[in-house]
Amino acid sequence: MAASRGRRLLWHGRCWFSQTESADPSQPPDSLYPPIVASATAKSKAAKRRRLEHFNQRVHSAASIEEKLRLYGLLQRPKYMVYPQTFALNADRWYRSFTKTVFVPGLPPRAPSTGAEAPGAVAPEAAKTPEGAGGAAKAPEPGTVTPEAAKTPESAAGAAPCLDMGELRSLACDALLQESFYQNKKRPFLYRDQDHTPGPFLTQLVSTLAAFLSGRNPLLAASSLDLKPEVNYYWHHGEEVVVHGHRKGRVDPVRFQIDDNPHLQIRVPKQLPEIVPLESDLGDVPVIDHKPSKLPLFKKQYENKVFIGSKVADPCCYGHTQFHLIPDKLNRERFVRAHLEDQIEVLYRANGIASLFAWTAAQAMYQGFWSEADVTRPFVSQAVVTDGKYFAFFCYQLNTLALTVETIQNNPRKNICWGTDSKPLYDVVEDGSVKGFNDGVLLQLVHFLLNRPKEL
Amino acid sequence: LFQGVRQAQWLTKTKLVEGLPPPVLSIIDNPAHQLEDHEERVQRAISHARFWETTEVAPRREHYCPVLFEDLIHLCRLMSVKYPSLTKRMLARNYRISATWERESILLQVRGQNGILMNSMAPIPPVASKEEILATEEHVLETFYPISPTIDLQEVNVYKELDDTGKSSRFRDGYPYSYPHTVFFLESANIRPNRFRPEQLRAKMLMFAFGNALAKAKVLYGNDPKVLEQPIVVQSIGTDGQLFQFMVFQLNTTDLVSSDGIKNLVWIDSDQNLYEKAQCIPEIKKRVVTKPAGIYGFQPDTFKKFLALYLHGTV
Repeated sequence: MAASRGRRLLWHGRCWFSQTESADPSQPPDSLYPPIVASATAKSKAAKRRRLEHFNQRVHSAASIEEKLRLYGLLQRPKYMVYPQTFALNADRWYRSFTKTVFVPGLPPRAPSTGAEAPGAVAPEAAKTPEGAGGAAKAPEPGTVTPEAAKTPESAAGAAPCLDMGELRSLACDALLQESFYQNKKRPFLYRDQDHTPGPFLTQLVSTLAAFLSGRNPLLAASSLDLKPEVNYYWHHGEEVVVHGHRKGRVDPVRFQIDDNPHLQIRVPKQLPEIVPLESDLGDVPVIDHKPSKLPLFKKQYENKVFIGSKVADPCCYGHTQFHLIPDKLNRERFVRAHLEDQIEVLYRANGIASLFAWTAAQAMYQGFWSEADVTRPFVSQAVVTDGKYFAFFCYQLNTLALTVETIQNNPRKNICWGTDSKPLYDVVEDGSVKGFNDGVLLQLVHFLLNRPKEL
Repeated sequence: LFQGVRQAQWLTKTKLVEGLPPPVLSIIDNPAHQLEDHEERVQRAISHARFWETTEVAPRREHYCPVLFEDLIHLCRLMSVKYPSLTKRMLARNYRISATWERESILLQVRGQNGILMNSMAPIPPVASKEEILATEEHVLETFYPISPTIDLQEVNVYKELDDTGKSSRFRDGYPYSYPHTVFFLESANIRPNRFRPEQLRAKMLMFAFGNALAKAKVLYGNDPKVLEQPIVVQSIGTDGQLFQFMVFQLNTTDLVSSDGIKNLVWIDSDQNLYEKAQCIPEIKKRVVTKPAGIYGFQPDTFKKFLALYLHGTV
């Protein structure tokens, strides 16, 4: 066993280079002989375990986060590409099983900091307006967001914390009208309807709302807005036997990669507060007995990227809200024509779960956590999935990154995703005015943007 | 345009003034109109655009130029906390402009899809006093005989003399944000020959600012050529991700056929560097790091001018 120290050759396959061992742990003084350990290069389970431990040790002791990410994604093998926006049937069940996520319908009850505004807002509202419904619109609603048909009258000189619904509504309508009505654009390119109107509308809406609300939410004032960023995450979950090739018969972890392109994303320097404690259990994770390729998912081998939208050096390393635009080939009419109306909601849910899992997990990796070093605090982010008219809101709490075969065994934690159904923001735009504007959806969006840690 | 700004001046009957106009300069000097720790935030915006935006080591200009612009606009928009009327602005991307005028019996037209326009509900008040406007009467436009002023312009058969009042106007009637405020130009092509040189970029900015102002004047005051009592001001900012050109254009007259009389005015502040160099990878010579990665030569004044032009008209 003299070969146990000194040069180790050919770890984990051919693509790893030979390198000298890092500093040996000091020998206890009473033993004369080096420790007896399993071989490093034999074709045995003990040797494989030892190689795995050595890899984990390397990643644990990496000098910087970039180095850790580089080592984590060093070995390239064929992996399943998970697309958040997919036409696959019941994709959200599959994605929940891949990411160990529990889905809770409706949104979580709002934090007390925003609740403190509500009593202050309700009092002047109730004093001024006879409509009780107007006051109810501001109170926290755990669960579904009911559309408020009665337009809340403008809370004029009232208390400062009051949200001026009239102002917000006019901002939203202006953005919508500009993009769809006032600005003369050429006809949309074939199958590129989403780039023509809903895309610019969403950008315009979010940027003006974020600027408008940055006075109330100091986190937004320090935020960074990305247009069409890239979000990637790579992870292992489960095991399979290699089917064909020179590695046939070996047991390998199942690898997944998400490459996402949200339309817009807001990153902030401080983390959003946790919604429920780390060890909460709010439901069950579906267990699917089939191989992931039955979804359908396809394998490809390429670079294992972990990216939140900007590199590790950026101070805005936590996520706040993402905005996703459903592409043209997945619009509602196609589902209705194919008699798959129930899959419309599945599409929104799958998009929310997959994108948010990738984003929060990448944020956690940027802080140094990975599957062997699980997160010590939950990571929370929000997302809005829309196709220009219908909006669905999602909230995700990442409680665990440990999804590999070894780490999942004693891990009771589950990730949690809250989400709503998609609701229309307006009915139709004609003749320079918006018909049937839904204040509830706008209010929900505003509350999403106002979300912030309790200290601020 | 061959002669750059000089040719554009002749075509639009404009007098050039170096530097930015006094109202804008007063906004720059006023410390109340600044963001808190804006230097650090602008540097962070530059780093984000130049280093951190993509997983590549050094993002290319196509990536970083628009990202830098978006970040700077985001910072400017955050000023709406202090000045709520700033929310009355709307950005229009991919907008199309078309404006026609006659200049000494040559029919000229500005058309096309170029840049990003920012509209506001309220117009910018005129920056030049009445005396300055009258003083432009004596100013003689430079001509560059024997080169014709229309050299390098594309000659097309125009079947419809379109202004923004025409059927293919870029915005319909009743648009609440009716005043063009600023036009932004991003030169983000990767290869140098595909980008405009600074001189040509300034000329392009002038032509488009003029086109916008002329179209607005025709909407407000009709098609007859005359001197405007209330001049229209349109600003213009052009950048290639590092170098900024600032321009404020004031349309005093729509009487452009003759070369005499009152002229329009333009103030240009050219070639303002936001930073000297952005080093993505540390420069190493003989295994010693000579230049660590980072931004060099940061000049906060350029961002102050950017912000001042953004705030102009509301403060």
